Amino acid sequence: MLMSPFLDMQLGDRIVTLMAALVLVLQIAMVAQRWIVIHIRIFAAQSFFLAMIAATIAWFNHAPHIYIAAGLTVAVKVILVPILFERLVERMEIREEIEPIINVPISLVIAGGLTLVGYVVAESFYRPEEPGLGHNALAVAISLFLIGFFNMINRRKALTQVLALLTLENGLFLAAISLTYGMPLIVELGVFFDVLVAAMVLGILIYRIRETFESMDVSRLRRLRG
Amino acid sequence: MEAANVAGFGVILLVAIALAVKVLAAGTVSFANGFFYADSLSALVILLTAAVALVCSTYSIGYLRDDQQSGDMGDDPAGAEQIAQLRMFYSLTPLLVFSMLFIAVANNLGVMWAAMEATTLASIFLVTFYGKVTSLEAAWKYAIIGGVGLSMALFGTVVAYYAGHSLPGSDSLSGLNWSVLAQHAAQLDKTSMRLAFVLILLGYGTKAGLAPMHTWKPDAYSEAPVPTAAILSTALLNCALYCLIRFYILTSRCLGPEYPRHLLLLFGLLSMGISVPFVLAQRNLRRLLAYSTIDHAGIMTIALGLAGPLGSLGLMLHMTFHTIAKSTLFLSAGNVYQHFRTDLFAKMKGGVMRAMPLTGVVLFMAMLAVIGMPPFSLFQSEFLILRAAFDGGHILTGVLFILFGTGIFTGVLVHLSGMILGPVDDTPVAARRPWRDGSLLTLAAALVLIGFWVPAPLFELIRGAARVVSGQ
Repeated sequence: MLMSPFLDMQLGDRIVTLMAALVLVLQIAMVAQRWIVIHIRIFAAQSFFLAMIAATIAWFNHAPHIYIAAGLTVAVKVILVPILFERLVERMEIREEIEPIINVPISLVIAGGLTLVGYVVAESFYRPEEPGLGHNALAVAISLFLIGFFNMINRRKALTQVLALLTLENGLFLAAISLTYGMPLIVELGVFFDVLVAAMVLGILIYRIRETFESMDVSRLRRLRG
Repeated sequence: MEAANVAGFGVILLVAIALAVKVLAAGTVSFANGFFYADSLSALVILLTAAVALVCSTYSIGYLRDDQQSGDMGDDPAGAEQIAQLRMFYSLTPLLVFSMLFIAVANNLGVMWAAMEATTLASIFLVTFYGKVTSLEAAWKYAIIGGVGLSMALFGTVVAYYAGHSLPGSDSLSGLNWSVLAQHAAQLDKTSMRLAFVLILLGYGTKAGLAPMHTWKPDAYSEAPVPTAAILSTALLNCALYCLIRFYILTSRCLGPEYPRHLLLLFGLLSMGISVPFVLAQRNLRRLLAYSTIDHAGIMTIALGLAGPLGSLGLMLHMTFHTIAKSTLFLSAGNVYQHFRTDLFAKMKGGVMRAMPLTGVVLFMAMLAVIGMPPFSLFQSEFLILRAAFDGGHILTGVLFILFGTGIFTGVLVHLSGMILGPVDDTPVAARRPWRDGSLLTLAAALVLIGFWVPAPLFELIRGAARVVSGQ
């Protein structure tokens, strides 16, 4: 042992906090972003930092099964899903920008407010007597969840709504690893399989909507009422 | 494909009956190291799911053959496109049913969640089966609202797992097992359980179609092929409520029944209340049925909130009776749609009984049953739930229950008479269809019979399930 366990923990906590901050910054960048392809890349970058958080927590808590979760995140959310979606964008020849319903400055203010809410909620989980990693990470996770929600409401294009749903899922993943240091392995496998299939299913659905309506604008889906 | 489906579901029904018998004898069954776990509650849900799946798969043979003839599935009957579509239907339906069965036997709450997500993924392309503009819209709503709901449910599951993190063995695979958590429910972290239950209620409530997260339901039910809609509105509703019940048991053991009660009563009454105006103003038969399902989801949620021996018994009876009545209704609505080529009451001109005597009678009967008219069985279960409300001193709940129930009753009767008691016209009489009449008559017989006589083993199973819910 080179370092005392306490210092060890503190270092881990700092790394996790730094990464979590980056994840949050990327989430807010997504609120302000106007191009779909860049949107997809931001999502990939965010997922990458998420995987790094998972790996850090696995290292400092000696919880090897979280490495598997980190590896799956890289495989599914950093590589597979972004490639899938970029192909979809190419195939559908989307050139349009994202048009948010609420304009960007106000959206940013709302995202900031939601971050604050995230920190308030996370406080109720804070146990000073239980030193551990990821207290800040939980606050970020809840913020990601809330901002993901807001992004879903604030977007008109089908693909960007799905991306918002996926960032919401990123928030969940972060909550799961920072609250409980990972769920049992089989659950994680199930969740990742579901995310992958969901991304594919939604991709096909978007493609068909695009073909039928010649647009991905979901605000045109308004025939069914009452 | 058709034969394989029916045979497969037949075998599954036999297995479900075997499981029910075993559970009746032994109380709980658990295998594969506790990975699978079944008590009376799971056995009842499995039995209902398997029965509905078998009846619907028999029905869908005739239904889809008619679709092929009538050009609903494209212009070229027996063309390559149609065969691909049929293949998709007959492989996604078993996938959907399999996921539902998995929900009911999975002990691990995370695995249960993954199976629930699988049901959504399996059914999205069943909703887009006809490839119409409206079915894409319905599927999109279904996928997105369902996706958000399920992510909340997953969050709730994570928080519930955290609530048990101080228990011994919580970091092993069994840490999220329901049987383990239920045993130590009193030691779960109380603050976390509060948050977890709200998230779970919102999450699985979305899948059950509780208001205000119900908006996907009428669209998905009216766009999906009728056998799929029947499965979604009965078996899948039961499964969503099943997940909710599992968490309800944990929460009420941890925090006492008061906390979940208020939330459940609120959402239940809201669902009943919201469906009243939509039922009254409805013009479309299958959408009417969807709002009726929302109403019944509300009734069952209220029953769960009231809990106690009486409320739980009412809940389990209602689940059983509603499954039979609503699947009968959807299947007869399918016959009506294919004959009249419309779901709109106005275009049927009251000719249903005359043009299709058999379907008309069954539809009429099942409609009366579903709005709680005696002597049909739903009257008994609703009466039990109402009694539980007044016994427990929830006067406001009871009064609103009666009020909303009356609204639905009136609305459905008005539409029903409009469909059936029309002027004489020249609508052609429908031909007999052996596959579909067979399944419809089976269900109708079950519906009539169960109003007067519930087989003793089934009633034992229902009572066992009610005991699981009330914890006595």
